[in-house]
Amino acid sequence: MATTASFIIVSRNDIPIYEAEVGSATKREDAAQLHQFVLHAALDIVQDLAWTTSAMFLKNIDRFNDLVVSVYVTAGHTRLMLLHDSRNDDGIKSFFQEVHELYIKVNFLQLGCSVHVLVFHLSIVEKN
Amino acid sequence: MDPAGTPLGKMLLEEITPVVMVLRTPSVEEACVKNGLSFVEMLSPFCNFSNIDVPLRTSSDQPYRLHKFKLRLFYESDVRQPNIEVAKERLKQVITKAGEKENLELISDPPQVSNLLDSSKSELLPSWFEYLNKELIRTASFSEHETFDHPVGCLLVVSSKDEQPINRFIDLFNTNKLPSLLNDGAMDPKILKHYLLVHDNHDGSSEKASKILSEMKSTFGTNECHLLCINSSQDAKMEHQDDPWASYKYDGSPVQRLGCCLDVDDISALKDLMHEFSSKHVIPYMEQKVRILNQQVSATRRGFRNQIKNLWWRKGKDDPNEMPSGSMYTFSSIESQIRVLGDHAFMLHDYELALANYRLISTDYKLDKAWKRYAGVQEIMALAYFLLDQSRKEAEYCMENAFNTYLKLGSSGQQNATRCGLWWIEMLKTRDQYKEAASVYFRICSEELLHSAVMLEQASYCYLFSKPPMLYKYGFHLVLSGDRYRKTDQIKHAIRTYRSALSVYRETTWSYIRDHVHFHIGQWYALLGFHDVAVRHMLQVLACSHQSKATQELFLRDFLQIFQGAGKTFEVPGLQLPVIDISSLKVVFEDQRTYASSPAASVRESLWRSLEEDLIPSLPGARTNWLDVQTKLMPKRLRESNVCVAGEAIKVVVEFKNPLQVPIPISNVSLICELSRSEEEISVDTNASTSELANDEDHQRFGVMVVSSDSGSVILSEFDFSLGGGEKKLVELTVTPKLEGTLKLVGVRWKFSGCVGFYTFESILLVKKIARGKRKAKAKQSPLNDLKFVVIKPVPKLEGHIRSFPEKAYAGHIQPLILELKNQSNCSIKNLKMKISHPRFLSIGNKEVQHVDFRACLEKQSDNKQGGTHANLKKASQGVFLFPEDVAIKGDKPLLWPLWLRAAVPENFLLYIIIYYEMEDASSVMKYRTLRLHYNLQVLPSLDVSFKISPCPSRLQEFLVRMDVVNKASSQSFQVSQLSTVGDNWGISRLQPIDGIIPSQSLTVGQAFSFFFMLKSRRLSSVDAATHVPDLSPDVDNDVILCPESVKEPLVNATHSPLANFHDSERLQHGIHNQKDDNTVDFVLISRPLKSDTNSEEDSDQPQLFSHHACYCRTASTSPISWTMIGPRTKYHNFSSSFCEISLKMTIHNSSDAIASISISTADSAGQSDALPSQGGWKPVVKEIKAASPKAAGIIAGNSPESLWSLKPVASPVSSFIWSGSSSSNFQLAPRSSTDIPMQICVFSPGTYDLSSYVLNWNLRQDDGGCDQLEAKESNPEEMRKLSGTCSGYPYFLTVLQSV
Repeated sequence: MATTASFIIVSRNDIPIYEAEVGSATKREDAAQLHQFVLHAALDIVQDLAWTTSAMFLKNIDRFNDLVVSVYVTAGHTRLMLLHDSRNDDGIKSFFQEVHELYIKVNFLQLGCSVHVLVFHLSIVEKN
Repeated sequence: MDPAGTPLGKMLLEEITPVVMVLRTPSVEEACVKNGLSFVEMLSPFCNFSNIDVPLRTSSDQPYRLHKFKLRLFYESDVRQPNIEVAKERLKQVITKAGEKENLELISDPPQVSNLLDSSKSELLPSWFEYLNKELIRTASFSEHETFDHPVGCLLVVSSKDEQPINRFIDLFNTNKLPSLLNDGAMDPKILKHYLLVHDNHDGSSEKASKILSEMKSTFGTNECHLLCINSSQDAKMEHQDDPWASYKYDGSPVQRLGCCLDVDDISALKDLMHEFSSKHVIPYMEQKVRILNQQVSATRRGFRNQIKNLWWRKGKDDPNEMPSGSMYTFSSIESQIRVLGDHAFMLHDYELALANYRLISTDYKLDKAWKRYAGVQEIMALAYFLLDQSRKEAEYCMENAFNTYLKLGSSGQQNATRCGLWWIEMLKTRDQYKEAASVYFRICSEELLHSAVMLEQASYCYLFSKPPMLYKYGFHLVLSGDRYRKTDQIKHAIRTYRSALSVYRETTWSYIRDHVHFHIGQWYALLGFHDVAVRHMLQVLACSHQSKATQELFLRDFLQIFQGAGKTFEVPGLQLPVIDISSLKVVFEDQRTYASSPAASVRESLWRSLEEDLIPSLPGARTNWLDVQTKLMPKRLRESNVCVAGEAIKVVVEFKNPLQVPIPISNVSLICELSRSEEEISVDTNASTSELANDEDHQRFGVMVVSSDSGSVILSEFDFSLGGGEKKLVELTVTPKLEGTLKLVGVRWKFSGCVGFYTFESILLVKKIARGKRKAKAKQSPLNDLKFVVIKPVPKLEGHIRSFPEKAYAGHIQPLILELKNQSNCSIKNLKMKISHPRFLSIGNKEVQHVDFRACLEKQSDNKQGGTHANLKKASQGVFLFPEDVAIKGDKPLLWPLWLRAAVPENFLLYIIIYYEMEDASSVMKYRTLRLHYNLQVLPSLDVSFKISPCPSRLQEFLVRMDVVNKASSQSFQVSQLSTVGDNWGISRLQPIDGIIPSQSLTVGQAFSFFFMLKSRRLSSVDAATHVPDLSPDVDNDVILCPESVKEPLVNATHSPLANFHDSERLQHGIHNQKDDNTVDFVLISRPLKSDTNSEEDSDQPQLFSHHACYCRTASTSPISWTMIGPRTKYHNFSSSFCEISLKMTIHNSSDAIASISISTADSAGQSDALPSQGGWKPVVKEIKAASPKAAGIIAGNSPESLWSLKPVASPVSSFIWSGSSSSNFQLAPRSSTDIPMQICVFSPGTYDLSSYVLNWNLRQDDGGCDQLEAKESNPEEMRKLSGTCSGYPYFLTVLQSV
């Protein structure tokens, strides 16, 4: 089954610092912008939810048609957001945890704001 | 909180009210039309009572008063479910009309987010939403399953004009005309009837009407009949202060003033009529009905028994009930009655009773699976809960239940679902649950696009109003809504939503979002013809490097289309296409400093400055010179800001980058400049007629827009080019001011298919390449000043270049070059000086040389006396070359000057040349200028030469020289042609025959070879024989030819001009100690590339020459003392007579600068007699044959001469001689002098003797050497070692033979 998924890392000031389309479904032309719209809008929900729970993984917090948004909020309030259409909470959770680990490593290596994209990208694509 | 005071409460009090059906004759309508109103419209304003104050009793006899009340009047034809299609059409009209009104606001900028949050809800929400929502709710009215829309009463209206009014009344309530609700049994046909006679006062007096009324009263009963007189105003000019109909007449065109024929009496009559009708008839009727129904219901359904019975009965009824749900409940069924009871109670504000009944019936419907009815009851239950303000949860639960149930019904429940949703939303809004409200809006979006567009837009506002505001959701839903508006061609609405969304997305870094919004809104603006705004939005998306190529093409194409549609050029500040990399900005201008080429301009200023130091007159002196004259005239800013010369171009280098994958054409790239003249500058120009200038050119400005209409004051270069996908291009732009004044570089402009983009430099911090060298003290000036220039009068400018400067050369290559200098102006220049950064690589030739053949000046002339020094004549101190005084460059005739280039060492070598010149014209502002040339030469490795010198054991001041040559070039073969020593001190000669040196006559790539030479000092001979002609034997010359005779190459004069110069610089390069050291020798190896090589063919006409210099090759590396034994080698003696006494002479030379005390101690070999059997003096001389030739021995022993000598004692024959002179002699030897010590041996038998058994101890005297020498020794450990030493004797073989 073809899945659609879009992964994005949003910094604490709502700037996307990493984006990846990781679905197996053939892309529609306007998919990228739709995904951005949905994820962007979901930030509002995250904002609400993040302070109500101590959990980092917030699953299925928002949806648009059949696209579901799951978010992993790091301690620094960087948000790893995944837009997906398949239900696999455990898989998504472990994916988030691995990405988070990677993210910390990469950030540790270069204390800048932008992520060492190539290495990162490869490992993310690999994991999905 | 009073629920009735909330928006939803108000809405419910208006919408869920008793309906009165109006049946009228056409003539009634005719009378009303005079007022521009229908009958219902005329009455409507008076059906709304804010305080009707009617006392009521609940079913349990509790009194209460009804305050707010409203009747809804409908014609009988309208009492039915509205046609869905018609309703949709109507909604669309409402929306379209609302869209039309937007026109003006559309173009304005969207508000800031902060403003958005501050402004009140009513400001933001479009006012038509409320009206539209009401319309939407009404589309679901008059359904069968709800009874609050069912008429509770009927108003029969007949005009007094009608004939037989009584009969008309009866006819009116004819079942044929009645709505289906009454006919098909959904509601009770026995309803309240009220009879009204309308009299139009225009038709005459009301007498007739009164007659009819009395007739009516007798027929229908006194209470049920009424007379209404209208149109009392005869002239139809009544004006009403507060038009009561205004809010009831939405779409009517106001051709006629509403109610113009109704005077005050009429209106009060209307009011009274409706008040009486409501309070005396409708309300009591309803109250009565509630009572009756309540009793019935109580009897049949209340109580435990009834409930059990009901349950039982329902269960049994379950199976056969397969009828469609609509018709199974007639008005007479208990379920309908309960519902009617509930609705009536609801409308009479007895919500407790209503709720109780709804609850009762709700379970019934659920059991019966009558879903629509169930949903309806749930819905009204929720509203009842809301109005009771009791249980929020219950209310919400019921509402959700109802909504979901409606949705489950599919299309048939769609209208109801919408209505239910809207009520739900209102309920949530009342409780500030905006977020939930928004999601309900989202849920009531149907497939119908326009409908969902409106709903989504409303949802977006809900997100905005929620606490905290959810701006991202707001934006997203606006975009979703806009998208749908666009699909239904509601472009204005689409733009409105996107425009609002822009306030959220304006600064967003989410690239796709930004592109989407700007692109679409741009497109739509273009559709409406707002091309300016459209272009502005399209510009935002042009530089979308993250998009796919197809999208980029799409954006670009649309942009161009819109652009053409606009039909004019735009000035676009900050056009993103192409992107200008401002960090690449580089301004090159020429004041005193001029550059021969652009690479020269990019060289670091400090480098030039260090070179210039000696050239430019030192600052204080030179400065005051011309400042003294000029200070009064020149404004201060001339000294403080950049100076450029009129007529000379200022170059600006900027990098353009195409961020897209699509190639873009760029044209007319040029600078934007302002050239202004102000009064103070004119005053500088004392001779010019000030008034004239002030008149027409005072403060002449070439602003951003005017540049194209060039008035000739500046010349701007224009470039056209095309940037491929992702390409970067450095563009060099020039501006040439023609007049004096102040020139300011404002920015750069370019044309991108009719769109003029410009970019101003001001906004950015400049990265300036040109350092403000001379004005270091004022280096703190703002970067903007770097773009400001003071333009001064034209001064001569020298242009120059070196003709055909090679790009690469092999190390050692000597080439002649020509420096060409040109002065375009007519003013002459003087006092030319030149300095070269690397005299090692480039030397200045003689003026005459350029006419002579290249070879000729290199070849050794017969009289080599004149060579050498004259090139240095004009060389001033610190390597500054002064051109002869008579050199003047003017006009077309260029000055040519020869130069010699020698690639000294293999490296990538940067050559800098500065030429300094002064103006002949003393009045010019600039006194001098410099021309800077810069060249780059890649030097490839060629031959690597090293020398090893070892002293010759047998000869004083003769040395063996080994030269190792390795060809390190990558492809070139070389031919070694000549080795020369430099100076008169040394002579050199070959040890091998020419032909035998190199078999192949050339060194191929990577080949190494060693050569051996004899080096001989000439000094010694001149010292001891000062009066003699120096004995220059033909083989002891300065030069040795190394190539075979067959290759006829002339000797090269190493002491002549270019070579000597280069050699000097080489010496300088190596020389840490410049003092003359006699113990060092300099070599010059001349080689030629092999002619047969391919790459030398092209310039085979030019003789190619390579020189390799080796300086300060040490000769005496061991000791400063050298000596030689002079004496006979063979002696005949008659041993029979006596022993042989042989006198020898030892010449000792002290080559050091100190006095040497030397002691020679001879030793007769005592213990050497054991090894070999003695046969007189004859001992086997092992290896002695070879050793007899010290030269050959030197070759074999190679680099360790000591080892050669140390071998000797082993092979030495048994000493059978004794030293007969003094066994030890001590003496002092003056510095640089020689002395002869007589020696004597006695030989007792014939044989060959090795006279090496002596030791020479030498000691350099420190005491008279002085401190400086000590210091020198301390500083150089190598010399320290040589303070004293011991040398064993050289082998000296003497053969003594028996004479006959």
